[in-house]
Amino acid sequence: MSDTVGIPWDRYALIADLSQRLVGISPQFGKTALIKLVFLLQEVYGVDCGYDFELHSYGPFTSTLLNDLDLARGLGAVSVDQVGYGYQIKPAAQTDAVRDRATAFMTKPRTTHALDSLIGLYGKLSARDLELRATIVFVERDMRRKGESATSEALRTCVGELKPKFSAEEIMRAIVELDKREHIRMAS
Amino acid sequence: MENMFEIRDPVHGFIRLNEWEREIINHQVFQRLRRIRQLGMTDMVYPGAAHTRFEHSLGVMHIATRMFDHIQRRRERFLQDELSYDDAGLKRDRVLVRLAALLHDVGHGPFSHAAEELMDTNPQTGRPYKHEDYSAAVIRFLMKDVIRDHKFNENYHITADEIADFLNQQRSAGRSLIWKDLVSSQLDADRADYLLRDSHHIGVAYGRYDLERLLNTLTIAIDEETTSPTLAVEDDGVHAVEALIIARYMMFTQVYFHRTRRAYDRHATLAIKELLRKHQAGSLPNPDVFPPPTSLKNIEAYLTWDDWRVQGMICSGLAGDHGDRLLNRDHYRCVYETPEQPRPADADLMQQIQQRLGTMPWFLDTAEKSWYKFEKADEIEVLLRPGLADETLVPLGIQSAVVHGLKAVNQSRVYVTVGDRPLALSRVIELRDGQ
Repeated sequence: MSDTVGIPWDRYALIADLSQRLVGISPQFGKTALIKLVFLLQEVYGVDCGYDFELHSYGPFTSTLLNDLDLARGLGAVSVDQVGYGYQIKPAAQTDAVRDRATAFMTKPRTTHALDSLIGLYGKLSARDLELRATIVFVERDMRRKGESATSEALRTCVGELKPKFSAEEIMRAIVELDKREHIRMAS
Repeated sequence: MENMFEIRDPVHGFIRLNEWEREIINHQVFQRLRRIRQLGMTDMVYPGAAHTRFEHSLGVMHIATRMFDHIQRRRERFLQDELSYDDAGLKRDRVLVRLAALLHDVGHGPFSHAAEELMDTNPQTGRPYKHEDYSAAVIRFLMKDVIRDHKFNENYHITADEIADFLNQQRSAGRSLIWKDLVSSQLDADRADYLLRDSHHIGVAYGRYDLERLLNTLTIAIDEETTSPTLAVEDDGVHAVEALIIARYMMFTQVYFHRTRRAYDRHATLAIKELLRKHQAGSLPNPDVFPPPTSLKNIEAYLTWDDWRVQGMICSGLAGDHGDRLLNRDHYRCVYETPEQPRPADADLMQQIQQRLGTMPWFLDTAEKSWYKFEKADEIEVLLRPGLADETLVPLGIQSAVVHGLKAVNQSRVYVTVGDRPLALSRVIELRDGQ
């Protein structure tokens, strides 16, 4: 009978790695930014991190990732500090040691290239901007899965219903940006 | 004047229903929940745990409605101004929430979560289907008429697809998704009900908390960081939420993740697997798992599996070694467990132990794989200065030292047969002392 030891080192290592990579880049690498960046990594870059994201009014979400963050913090892979009314995730004493537990995953060219691109394109964005982009990607994938025509207008309308505090122009700008990067595929 | 009906519930007193809801409850798909026990084989440890998904589903509908009503009463202006709700919109979403809460568990398999390890892989995600996918499919394929055709639906035009989308977090639910957190989140009616209900039936006090206080402080506000509308508790409800989270921690450690209970979950899973293999051989590409929730035929086949059928087959000796173990209360015994928050060295030891068990039969159980996880839930939002111009949302983990101090649990355990236990224990001791 075989089974694994039950500790998802790949996922803890990913959190540790992001905390290192985002130092001096992210305006505040907190819990929302972590969730949306990992969602983009999994959906846009196709790196299977093992999370099942669900759509909430606050965009794609999985509580498993926050659970992993807490466990990674317990291992000393990251620190999670209070900053104002939010959190900041930073590297800690065991960041490298935890990363080393998942060398096979973290050094795979597909993972490293994806992380480089993710940080370069999305690392500087605020939690609010990341949430909008992650929601657009979620909706576009869902439309395609259902065989619906994901035109920019249909996508804007749908995202606008889910995120009433974003203006139509702002949503459209983000759609165009994602389309140019080929991170979503618009129907003509 | 619509006729109302009442069902006596051991936790909430009388639960009120209208004719439409009564018809849905009388549907055979919902009645099946009388044959799905809420806590699987937990009665092997706590004999009182014989309650079913049927009564839990009624309880979730009851609490979700009360949550909705409290939020509406306290934040009607906010709902109108920020989310453009009018009376008709709120009435309609209230009905949607009630039906979704009522039906959220219709897709559970036999012995509840024990069946969840036997679900096929979803080719779209590469991961196994979940009972929520089955609930959505059951509603879509089998409950269309009973939902659509009732006269009470003439003002709402709610469809089975809409309820399934709401439960499955589909974007077509649109604005109504804000209420989804009432059915599925860290602060939802599901947990609010099962903690009280499981405690009541099992006869423990661990899961009790102040539901009335919690309801009275539920609210909705805009999260400034992301500008999303978010369910929250007002600041004077922090202690009620702390009590709920501690109740979850206690129930997890003392009941849901109890070492013997978890062994029986595993035996139940392996017994059902044996039955599926025998019954479905030649008819499905993967006979070891339930048919995927992708067609009416599959869903009808899936729903024939319930606790009664499985227990009958176990009694007839058809469920192999693990079925016999359930029949004779002869479970595998735990020979090693890591701390609740294992260090890397604990994980290494666990790996070495598994290697040293060699050819003896064993299984591993982890909190990571447990369907009732303990997560800290410090992302629940607290609304400071509610109703004032400078009201602000703050994560509970910042507002509450109690929640901040809690840690998520990721314990692992390894089990062997009673006969192999002495040898396995000697190997564990040898390895532990050698560290």
